[in-house]
Amino acid sequence: METLATASEALKRCSKCGGCQAVCPLYGETQAESYVARGKIFLIKSYLEGKVELSPKMKELMSLCLLCKACVDNCPNKVPVDQLVLAARREIAGEKGISFIKKNIFQNLLQNNGNLSLAARMGYLYQHSGAQGLVRKTGLLKLISDDLAKKEGLLPKVARHPFRRQVPRVITGSRPRIRAAYYTGCLTNYVYPGTGFAVVDVLKRNGVEIVIPEQWCCGIPALASGDEASAAALARRNIETFTRAGVDAIITDCASCGSMLHDYADLIEGGEARGFAGKVMDFSQFLNDAVDFQPGDREVPLLATYHDPCHLRRGQGVYAAPRKLIRGVPGLEFQEMKEADRCCGAAGSFNLSYYDLSNRIGKRKAKNIQETGAGLVVTGCPSCIMQITHVLEQEQSPVQVMHLAELLSMTYAGEADCDLRAG
Amino acid sequence: MIPPSVIDEIARVVGEENIFISLEERMCYGYDGTPNAFIPDLVARPGNTGEIQAIVRLANRHLFPIIPRGAGTGLSGGSLPVNSGVVLDLTRMNRILEIDEENLVAVVEPGVVTFAIQQEVERRGLFYPPDPASLKTSTIGGNVAECAGGPRAFKYGVTRDYVMGLEVVTPQGELVTTGGKTVKSVTGYDLTRLYTGSEGTLGIITKIYLRLIPKPEAIKTLMAVFTKLDEATQTVTLIIKRGIIPVTLELMDDRTIQCVENYLHLGLPVDAGAILIIEVDGARDLIESQAGRVAELCREGGAREIRTAGNEQERNEIWAARRAVSAAVVQIKPTKISEDVSVPRSQIPDMARKLREIALRYHLDLVIFGHAGDGNLHPNILCDQKDAEEMERVEKAVGELFQAAVELGGTLSGEHGIGTMKAPYLKLETGEAGYQAMLAIKQALDPKNILNPGKIFGGEHLGNSGHGQ
Repeated sequence: METLATASEALKRCSKCGGCQAVCPLYGETQAESYVARGKIFLIKSYLEGKVELSPKMKELMSLCLLCKACVDNCPNKVPVDQLVLAARREIAGEKGISFIKKNIFQNLLQNNGNLSLAARMGYLYQHSGAQGLVRKTGLLKLISDDLAKKEGLLPKVARHPFRRQVPRVITGSRPRIRAAYYTGCLTNYVYPGTGFAVVDVLKRNGVEIVIPEQWCCGIPALASGDEASAAALARRNIETFTRAGVDAIITDCASCGSMLHDYADLIEGGEARGFAGKVMDFSQFLNDAVDFQPGDREVPLLATYHDPCHLRRGQGVYAAPRKLIRGVPGLEFQEMKEADRCCGAAGSFNLSYYDLSNRIGKRKAKNIQETGAGLVVTGCPSCIMQITHVLEQEQSPVQVMHLAELLSMTYAGEADCDLRAG
Repeated sequence: MIPPSVIDEIARVVGEENIFISLEERMCYGYDGTPNAFIPDLVARPGNTGEIQAIVRLANRHLFPIIPRGAGTGLSGGSLPVNSGVVLDLTRMNRILEIDEENLVAVVEPGVVTFAIQQEVERRGLFYPPDPASLKTSTIGGNVAECAGGPRAFKYGVTRDYVMGLEVVTPQGELVTTGGKTVKSVTGYDLTRLYTGSEGTLGIITKIYLRLIPKPEAIKTLMAVFTKLDEATQTVTLIIKRGIIPVTLELMDDRTIQCVENYLHLGLPVDAGAILIIEVDGARDLIESQAGRVAELCREGGAREIRTAGNEQERNEIWAARRAVSAAVVQIKPTKISEDVSVPRSQIPDMARKLREIALRYHLDLVIFGHAGDGNLHPNILCDQKDAEEMERVEKAVGELFQAAVELGGTLSGEHGIGTMKAPYLKLETGEAGYQAMLAIKQALDPKNILNPGKIFGGEHLGNSGHGQ
């Protein structure tokens, strides 16, 4: 990982041309120079030169980054802005510490799947026991802050049972030709089990033996908050169980997790981490490159468009495979949207920390989606799905949002394999 | 420093959410595309002309400098707060007010990004030609204030050729309207031209009337490789003499070609003396024959290889080399001192020779590329801002290259403006009387020196070494 001390070479490469303004979603909404990459780089440089301190304002400005890498991609000198911002966050976390709540989440909750499941269960109960209804109806949160009430609306419906508890550890279809591990990610596990079933369905029908080892959060929330130690601890656990599984590939259905798993090679020294990272493949890329994928015959007579998750397109260089797979769906018509690779504003927990700003970025995405006239928007990241669903709902748009796996699973006749469900 | 009570007054004008007070945020408005940086006392972001007038009146009462700023992409230091004061960030005023297709005029606010205007008018089959390299980020207000150019300038002219009228807040806070939608206008002095390129020293531009033209139907791109630089520059003259006006005539010298090739491995001829990228545009059925004619003339001029783009992808391949130049050359050394001297076209070979001599004498890395059609070269010196001894040599070399340009009948700045970077050299070109005439205009219009002080008439030598931080 780049540290601020080793970053000065990269900082020097910024020629201050300002080209990042054209692509930064935060700048697009605010036109604030302190939010754009050039401003952040200048501040980091000024900090290293002792001209500015790690003040609360500095902390705020460094947290105001989506890590969407649009600036990196567009930069004539390829300054790794996201890495520099992460390094600054680590430095700030090291100097000033991180919040009590975040510390508890990264160092306790995320490191212990039992506790995490318990938290998810409590979330589920909140949403189904009538407590949520009561809170919403009474406007209790609005009394505290309007913003808090809006954020509560962003919280997804927690699944009754986590996905991983509903499926066996090894799933074998007929005549498997390749053995792959499935890293489900927290959102699929706790919020979108339907995506998990779709992934398993599609893989199984295409000759893949699926292993689902014990697994933990990928660590990106901790790393994005500057807590490298917690992220590394999670990485070590994941590397250990997945290495023991002895598979040819590690498949992810979440762009952010996938990008993070690739980065384990930078986070942890040694061949095992490199070996692990080398096997990580996005679901779409795996279907396209590693197996002879065949969609089903059932037609999906919809006009569909595709949103590029930042961590898929720029994080992992995957953009052709999902489009090819979507175009291959029988009966479906594909229409590219404007700015398909512009961030939707979710950016991990950014949409919770900066709800209004994130929502403004999301609205632009919603507009671009609606302008295509599509009835369906497909993407490859549960976090994007959550955000895009939220912004489309606000516009009262009938456009459906779906993970690529769910779309592909729909092409097979009959229901997704229900017999997988244990509970 | 501006007293807190005055800051409160400004905050009441634009709203609390539209000022930046923190050191960190102010620092982000103290730099531009040059290596220099300063720290303003305050950043104010007005949303309309009335707010600007109110702030200017406050400046007259409390005597603080106002520095108008667009996207901060300038290359001459025009928007740097050299004497602190209030940076007036105009990016919130970013509306396209009107596109008048009957009269071929666009009316825009200063904070609109130039590229956004171009996209909007091109959708209607119209064209706003000026294309500075920064057009995807720079604002039209900044383009007008610095009179930006670009590769298309040779055929289509620079920003000033498209400004038909302006609305300007004077240094006293009054509103002046110059020109408008009429093609002809000789009512008194041509204030439109005076404000255009005045670098924010005479007024704050709040509305711009832009001339539009019909969009050319098609474009054709060629690349010609020459063994010698002289052959390339003489070919430029030859093409023009034969009555063809290409839309662009971009030149890259041998050192530039080598840098780009090392960086991107595009398969460029590293033993070539120069490359010309030539584009012709116009009616679809005419440009094919015109492109053929250009190819012939290149061969006549000694080109050893000519590539003609048959489609958009091939066109992009040719442009990839030119677009990579900025990134490629900083691989040599991190700091790029980008000059934009212009000489009469016929003097390009002499100018190139002089530039080489100067670089050699001061042991500096120098690459030459730029717009050969209009004689606007971009000699770039690659150096390291942290190396004080080297920066001293750079300063001397820059002085000499300005001298050389003026001696060849050229100008200090084709399209970047004087700002702070070239202020010490202004008299080289204007002479004492010219300088005094300009100064008299500044003093007459802005006697309290409120607007953008320290620019154009900087006097004090700021150099290239990042003072003031």
